[in-house]
Amino acid sequence: MLSIVKLRLLSLRDNYVVFLVMTAMALGFTAVFGIAFNTYRPSVIIVDEDNTPYSAEFMEELKQNKIFKFLDSDKNDAIARVEEGKVLAALIINEGFHDNIERGREINIGQVKIKDDKYLLTLQETVKGIIVKMAGSERISTVTANFVSSQKPGADVEKIKDLAYENVMDSWIFKKPLKVTSTLADTDIQSGYDSMKHSMIGFTVFFSMYTIVFSIGTVLSDKRYKTWDRMLVSPVSMSSILSGTMVVSFLVGMIQMSVLILGGRYLFGLDWGRSLGGIIMVTTVFVFTITSFGLMLSGIVKTEAQLGAVAPVVLTSTSMLGGTMWPLEIVNNKVLLFLAELTPQKWAMQGFLNIAAKGMGFKSAILPSLVLLAMGITFFTIGVKTVKR
Amino acid sequence: MLKVENLYKNFGNIAAVAGISFEVKRGEVFGLLGPNGAGKSTTISIISTLLPPSRGQIFFEGESIFENSRNLRQKLGIVPQDIALYPTLTGYENLRFWGNLYGLKGAELKKRINEVAEIIGLKERLKDKVEKYSGGMKRRLNIGAALLHKPDLLIMDEPTVGIDPQSRSHILETVLKLNAQGMTIIYTTHYMEEAEELCSRICIMDEGKIIASGTKQELVELVKERTRINIKLDNISDNMPQVFKEITGVLDAAILDDTVTLFGENGDILLAEIISKVLEEKSKIQSIDIHKPDLEAVFLHLTGKALRD
Repeated sequence: MLSIVKLRLLSLRDNYVVFLVMTAMALGFTAVFGIAFNTYRPSVIIVDEDNTPYSAEFMEELKQNKIFKFLDSDKNDAIARVEEGKVLAALIINEGFHDNIERGREINIGQVKIKDDKYLLTLQETVKGIIVKMAGSERISTVTANFVSSQKPGADVEKIKDLAYENVMDSWIFKKPLKVTSTLADTDIQSGYDSMKHSMIGFTVFFSMYTIVFSIGTVLSDKRYKTWDRMLVSPVSMSSILSGTMVVSFLVGMIQMSVLILGGRYLFGLDWGRSLGGIIMVTTVFVFTITSFGLMLSGIVKTEAQLGAVAPVVLTSTSMLGGTMWPLEIVNNKVLLFLAELTPQKWAMQGFLNIAAKGMGFKSAILPSLVLLAMGITFFTIGVKTVKR
Repeated sequence: MLKVENLYKNFGNIAAVAGISFEVKRGEVFGLLGPNGAGKSTTISIISTLLPPSRGQIFFEGESIFENSRNLRQKLGIVPQDIALYPTLTGYENLRFWGNLYGLKGAELKKRINEVAEIIGLKERLKDKVEKYSGGMKRRLNIGAALLHKPDLLIMDEPTVGIDPQSRSHILETVLKLNAQGMTIIYTTHYMEEAEELCSRICIMDEGKIIASGTKQELVELVKERTRINIKLDNISDNMPQVFKEITGVLDAAILDDTVTLFGENGDILLAEIISKVLEEKSKIQSIDIHKPDLEAVFLHLTGKALRD
């Protein structure tokens, strides 16, 4: 097997360009999307039908958000501009917003939109976060005011409540970032959606597949050079030939994924979450699965030219289905969602996103890794049988 | 050393090999001679365990190669008909890889690479990438890759196809030298001259069958004192062989490109009639060669076809 490994490494000397191009493409696309995400702020109109201090405060909180550009307007104008596609969506602060917060009732914010997309998911999370903050502060200040008035009869309850509310809201600003993140991560509860992370992870998965598949496609070069048959009649077994080839393709895939993960971290400041073990596990199993997938493809097609024609179609279509280019949360079609389950990309994305974007722990990567492993073993079995021919 | 018994290989309805049997003795150069498509390469592929037979048995050193192929593979060197090398690697890297596959490493491998480079006459070019080699040099390296592990049995499948005369001559000399050192060789070719020059025993194959076998002398005995005449013509027509067959004494005739090959008794006497027929057919003679009985004549005699059809 070692002789095959050495041969494949020697061959890389002439095929390193694919590796470099795919790595550069992934990093380049991330850079382009990163710049786009940093400068582009979708507009959202806020319509205030409650006209209370609470609704005003809600609007102020929204306007502090850096992802969206919030504008005030009336309902008719908002609907017209959403329909014309000039703004992403409109939020309607319905009448009774103040009362509902004060009385701890369900708060309903209307949303005018044309279609779902990844920005709307972020918008919904943003709105939800502010409402939770305001409702929580309201509840704490009420309890505080009632407690103080019971201890000091005659105290001005409304004034105490206002002061308490103001202080609680200030304390949110001070404590929010660290406290909220750590609480969610420890309990493995899903938090929000991060489109930048999704893009980086999607490109990492998408481009690394090309390198891996074309790397394992060297068995087709062997067939073209007629060295395949010559190897088969040597004392080295078929399993050694395939193992040696798989090992090098696997290493190439692991190196590229590592470069992209580290590139994302240090070039673009991407936080890959707190579970390094989970990321390594998903990466390892994903690279194995795609190596096996490449072996299967190399067995099905006859020549390198056929692989060159088939691989981009298969890899791109399954990557689209598997959610590397947009979140599957915005897909409603049940057939597409079912097909997504059959792609390795879907499970790799799920594993990576659970850890890196949703702040979940190692456990969240186990199921995706097991599914990927099962797929990898299936592809490998088919690949070994077909590539012999 | 190697015994082939009643071997068959079918590809769908086509019988590529149809019940052949032969034996290769240790230390000989055994020739498989036949035109393209005769089944030589398929036979070689089965012997080298690349293809399974449809039926039949092959024994190497008394052991069935289908039950234990490891012994054969370790002792077999194969020179495929196609160049089976990595063009982007250097000659040295290619030899090192093929040596590695046969378990050679370190100083022993280096020593063998040097020895083999000497044998194939490529010592000065081993550092160059194979893609820069001429066709003849590639053929020689293709042979070298099969010699590194000093095989007991060397199979050479048409090793001189499409190369210059100088490289061909070098390869033929190499085969004789290797055989003189005790290596057993199976040599397939459709060049009658090569089989005659190299092989101690020859099997002539056509359409998947062995139509004759023996030493060159034994095979030539089949045609006794009959003569082969090659006539190169201008304005050759397809019915020319039939025209010549009408001459009394002409036993067979076949056409290949612009040459008609005749096989008959007492060639000197036939010549006058042959020339007269050519003139009748309004054709022009470019050249006439009269050959003593040889393998080409044997093949023509047995199949009614020219060997290089």
